[in-house]
Amino acid sequence: MVDWRLFEPLFNWARKKSLWIVSFCTGCGGIEMPPLMTSRYDIERFGIIPDPSPRQYDLFLITGYVTPKTLKRIIITYEMAPDPKWVLAHGSCPLNGGVYWDSYNAIKHLDKYIPVDVFIAGCMPRPEAVLDGIHKLMEMIESGEADGWKRYRENYEWYRKNQDELLGKGWREKEARKWIPWLVDKKKEVKE
Amino acid sequence: MTWEIGEEIVKKILEKAPYAEGRVRRERRLEFKIPAERIREFLMIMKENNFPLMLQISAVDWVRDGEIELVYHLMNIELGTHAMVKVRIPRDLDKAKMPTVRDIYPAAETYERDVHDFFGVYFEGNDKMEMPWILDDPERGLYPHRKDFDMLGYVKKKYKILDRFDENKDKYVI
Repeated sequence: MVDWRLFEPLFNWARKKSLWIVSFCTGCGGIEMPPLMTSRYDIERFGIIPDPSPRQYDLFLITGYVTPKTLKRIIITYEMAPDPKWVLAHGSCPLNGGVYWDSYNAIKHLDKYIPVDVFIAGCMPRPEAVLDGIHKLMEMIESGEADGWKRYRENYEWYRKNQDELLGKGWREKEARKWIPWLVDKKKEVKE
Repeated sequence: MTWEIGEEIVKKILEKAPYAEGRVRRERRLEFKIPAERIREFLMIMKENNFPLMLQISAVDWVRDGEIELVYHLMNIELGTHAMVKVRIPRDLDKAKMPTVRDIYPAAETYERDVHDFFGVYFEGNDKMEMPWILDDPERGLYPHRKDFDMLGYVKKKYKILDRFDENKDKYVI
């Protein structure tokens, strides 16, 4: 039998060189993505591509404020991904609420609900700052420090408890029941 | 400042709707105040008088007066003229009701749902009023944009964290 743990440094090196980003711009920081992707900063030279599929991505960018409604989608998208996966949060809003600290509808601490590997402070961080954050994340991946996905698995009860506290018990099933008939047949719009 | 074309438009509309008050605020900006029950017939008159576009229904909460002011923003594209039709209704939840105008301006459907979500004004005749819209289930029925909504109390209760909500503390980390 091959002990695959021996090859872990090689895998980590390869992982850091080909990060795929899920294209789900969750807040105002989505506007920083076009300059990152296009000729000015061109993050494709680091092997990063924006990928529309939540089943194949590695890197999840939380670009700005998160509302509870978006948080549901974020959690579902995060849990869909296969296992080494990393989260990078832009701006002060996911850190502590930012300018929306007293808003009824913006969550204050993102890392209570999903693990975050790198936070970038500022409102909004410029593309250089995002690039710097990605560089930091790459180093952390290679050294094995970026272990959010591991923490999520180990402390799943704690994360789940926080999620349920905020969004109400059984929110996954409730959401599905609410929207699936609407997606399937427009005539059966659920009045709730 | 007077704007002659605007004065003419206002005069023409007020002839058909003598119950309304109208004036020119400045160039390309008209303002009408009407009683709430005449809204449908007044908007029909406005539509006949070359205001075919509805931009927004916005709401202002006047807590001391006990009233909510609805502002229907209409646009005359040819002259680039913006008309505001202002209506006041009581802000009590059981009395804050308006007839829908979605058959006159189809775009109003969205704006009416919006005002219902955030201010609690019920638009009778709009059958999408009860459907989920912007707010999620826990916030629906709270009307968070009303002035007397206890925002900080709600945030403390819902998110249960953050030192910065602690008024007795001297030093804050953030």
